[in-house]
Amino acid sequence: MSVKYVPVQWGRFKVIYDVIAITMIMGFLWIFVNVTPGILNHDPAINPQIRNMRAFGSCAFFLLTAILMIGPLARLDDRFLPLLYNRRHLGVLTGFVALSHASFVVRWYFVFSPTDRYEALLGTNTAYDQILGFPFEAFGIFALLCLLVLATTSHDFWLKFLTPRIWKDLHYLIYPAYAAVIAHIGLGALQSTENPTFGVIVFLCASLVIILHLAAARKEHRTADAGVSSEEYASWRKLFRADTVKEGFARVARLSNGERIAVFRHGNRLSAIANACAHQNGPLGEGRIADCIVTCPWHGFQYDVTTGQSPAPFTEKIATYNLRLRDGYVEVDESPNPYGTVVTPLAIPTPSMS
Amino acid sequence: MSDKRPFFVGYLPTPRELRLLLISVAVAAITAFVVAAWAVGTTQDNPGDGRLRFDLGRQTIVGVLETSPYPMVHVTHGTDVIATGETLMLAGAGKFGVEPHASRVDSPVVEVTGVLLNRGDIRMLQVPNPRRNLKAIDGEGPSVNSKNLGRWRLAGEICDGKCLAGAMRPGRGIAHKACAELCIEGGVPPVFVTTQPVADHEFMLIANGDGEPLNSELLEKVGVYISLEGELIQRGSLAVFLANHESIEVLP
Repeated sequence: MSVKYVPVQWGRFKVIYDVIAITMIMGFLWIFVNVTPGILNHDPAINPQIRNMRAFGSCAFFLLTAILMIGPLARLDDRFLPLLYNRRHLGVLTGFVALSHASFVVRWYFVFSPTDRYEALLGTNTAYDQILGFPFEAFGIFALLCLLVLATTSHDFWLKFLTPRIWKDLHYLIYPAYAAVIAHIGLGALQSTENPTFGVIVFLCASLVIILHLAAARKEHRTADAGVSSEEYASWRKLFRADTVKEGFARVARLSNGERIAVFRHGNRLSAIANACAHQNGPLGEGRIADCIVTCPWHGFQYDVTTGQSPAPFTEKIATYNLRLRDGYVEVDESPNPYGTVVTPLAIPTPSMS
Repeated sequence: MSDKRPFFVGYLPTPRELRLLLISVAVAAITAFVVAAWAVGTTQDNPGDGRLRFDLGRQTIVGVLETSPYPMVHVTHGTDVIATGETLMLAGAGKFGVEPHASRVDSPVVEVTGVLLNRGDIRMLQVPNPRRNLKAIDGEGPSVNSKNLGRWRLAGEICDGKCLAGAMRPGRGIAHKACAELCIEGGVPPVFVTTQPVADHEFMLIANGDGEPLNSELLEKVGVYISLEGELIQRGSLAVFLANHESIEVLP
């Protein structure tokens, strides 16, 4: 959270995170490139260029798998939220590893030829009408472009410039990129190998990513209250009993248009704000509140729940919602207030008042 | 959600209750990557025994040059490692063939200098700078034995002969397909590697049914496991498969 842009806002946690990520990558590459050839003992050995290409390519696949596991893991158990805090750096590192893989491919398979290397890459195999022998390089190029776009736009400058909604939508490219990587491996490397180990590992990794996402989606669907439309006024929606919201926490509700709101209890008052953080759509309803200020669990952005505004000098704003109490139930006006609108908190009866 | 659960904020000190979990996750992640590298790295297929034989030094041979469908030389004076009577395919450096220079040589007898590539029965001479290392010499070469071995339907894979013979390790399969096509388009002789030896040949030079270099239909199937029909002929010690591209079947 910053009022000005700096290349990287380093902090102790980010430094440790990056050291661990780089250790993972260096460990992987060192074992693959320097240790396993001695174990294989092929004579003659696999070309070093091809070995490097395989090492960087498989490393990028495992990094991408790890990145895609972090989100659902954090949804399923909030103790994994710290892994999400610096996930962008892991993404940028993955982009570099994938780029290295592509560089080895182009500088080995597509050189020493009268044809320009990039022309050769794009134009040599054009058998798009067959599955076996399909130009699997196209999937790799697509995935690499996605990763590079994501890495380039990962900075908060682009988040602000593109707006959070477009930025978030853009960063969903990670999913087609992963699918393209699977296709790239499945139609390429796995068609040329007799040993099934890598194929089994790829299958297990992809399955794990899918299962975790399904489990997280199921949990999210269960935990967001759908509420019911109030018969009296079409724009009001009945949510839940007021006394079911715990002090210092929120309950998340889903509106009829699919948007989610977070209803916080602070003291004996309730305030409702949009559930999506203005930074990266983090789930504010899973944040903690102190003195009317909620802290987003993803990156620590803060908002006053009565105004939807970040405390000065920060300028982020989100929508607030009007609440009312009917027969002990909280109802919300589904029409959001303009971003940063002050709303008087809804007082709820205490045991002594009832 | 219990209000006693630790709440992580990245720019604040990590809650004590989360530290052990995060250390465990870090150790598990590093271990997983090391194990993954070991699992994938130690299960790479053996690329075979093909190699560029720089260890044998440059070989200079004399023989009868034939340029169709691809350049080859029938050796009349060999070396310690290249027998007289052997037929060797010729390729240039990188992904280049020895054409068009070979077609311009104005004598059937040539002296060729290059580095041997071999993998099992597949043998080829890499001739760097053909203008200097592929020279016409005086003399008349003996006629080359030619025998029709009949019509066959063969199953196997079209590869570029140079990478397969050891210029790249591995040098075959779909992952290598684009590289192989580039080599063949550059003039490197393609070979057909059969699943079973045919007439005592483990591989054969492959060309169109009309004896011309591979057409686009055959090029599209490079690296793919296929079966196809054609005429098998023997030129010197080399088998040449004149394949009918209309008979191609992709095999599972």
